[in-house]
Amino acid sequence: MSAYILPILFILLFLYCIYKRINTYDYFVKGAKGAIKLVVDIFPFIASIMIAVALLRVSGITTWLTQILSPIFNTLGVPPELTELVLLRPFTGSGSYALLEDVIASYGADSYITRCACVIMGCSETIFYVATVYLSQTKVKKLLYAIPVALLCSIVGTILACLLCRVM
Amino acid sequence: MTFLVTQSIKISMNIFWLIMMLASMLVLLIVNPSAMLSEMIGASTEALELCIELCAVYVVWLGFIELIDASGLSKKLAKLLRPLIKRIFKIDNEETEKLIALNISANMLGVGNAATPMGIRAMQALDDKTGKANFAMIMLVVINATSIQLLPTTVIGLRASAGSENPADIILPTLIVTVITTIMGILLVHGIEKLRQKLKGRKKK
Repeated sequence: MSAYILPILFILLFLYCIYKRINTYDYFVKGAKGAIKLVVDIFPFIASIMIAVALLRVSGITTWLTQILSPIFNTLGVPPELTELVLLRPFTGSGSYALLEDVIASYGADSYITRCACVIMGCSETIFYVATVYLSQTKVKKLLYAIPVALLCSIVGTILACLLCRVM
Repeated sequence: MTFLVTQSIKISMNIFWLIMMLASMLVLLIVNPSAMLSEMIGASTEALELCIELCAVYVVWLGFIELIDASGLSKKLAKLLRPLIKRIFKIDNEETEKLIALNISANMLGVGNAATPMGIRAMQALDDKTGKANFAMIMLVVINATSIQLLPTTVIGLRASAGSENPADIILPTLIVTVITTIMGILLVHGIEKLRQKLKGRKKK
């Protein structure tokens, strides 16, 4: 079902453009032109955050943090098996999806832990990545309280996700 | 408490990145010094690969977005979401509202990669060049972080390919959680902003 939504929206968009007498090719090319420049602009920001995350993982700091945080997460109702996923989720999209695949492979696609992991992934974002990339083309140096609030919402979302998966 | 809110949470990316780097480099120096440089270059290679992938994705999405813009659909979408955006972001600028409307819609459809270019443009439009994030910018970061998702497409796909009996049964819990956290985020940002205004007023007296 959900597989149809985007394709249908695309087709409707093209039909609407025909109705509005817009040269779809001209405008598509015009928009696509911006892609390379955008990627060149954000590459250093993505690379810097990925380097920091890679060092955190290879130094063993994340494993160490996982061990410390697991019992805390457990009392909050978050399965300890998901600690690393929750920990890495704000930093890396590809990394956390790789962890989700591990969870699915080791606990089965319909287990409680997998469903928790899926809802957690669906309701959270790569906060640090979003913040750095979105603000990369502005003069902003101080984010004030944006990250703490975003992280707090994420943690509440994680706890809620595990709670809901128990009953739904 | 008020001190906590105003002073100690002024986290900047500079400090954060420095702490992450320094802590891991110090540990690595003891545990595995030879891995440091290769690991950094490996990560930046990964970032480059990701960017090439993103470039391909952006070509498609930016092309479509230009069509949405040229056909006047983005204006209609912005008009539809305008009352909501005006209230949440406290802004009054048609172009910026349009960008934010597109960014939020892309997030709702579960295509975060299409949301990114719009988010970057919206941030540029909101930037007041003071070096500090303003209210609307903070709101945009928070709303993107809690992003309401109608369709967690990637996750459903992963579960389906692993042989799940009902891969879509996570849609409802995901929707409930994102709606709650998004409302919570909006209220928190509004609350903190009010608190800061109050404190500022007190300082002036």
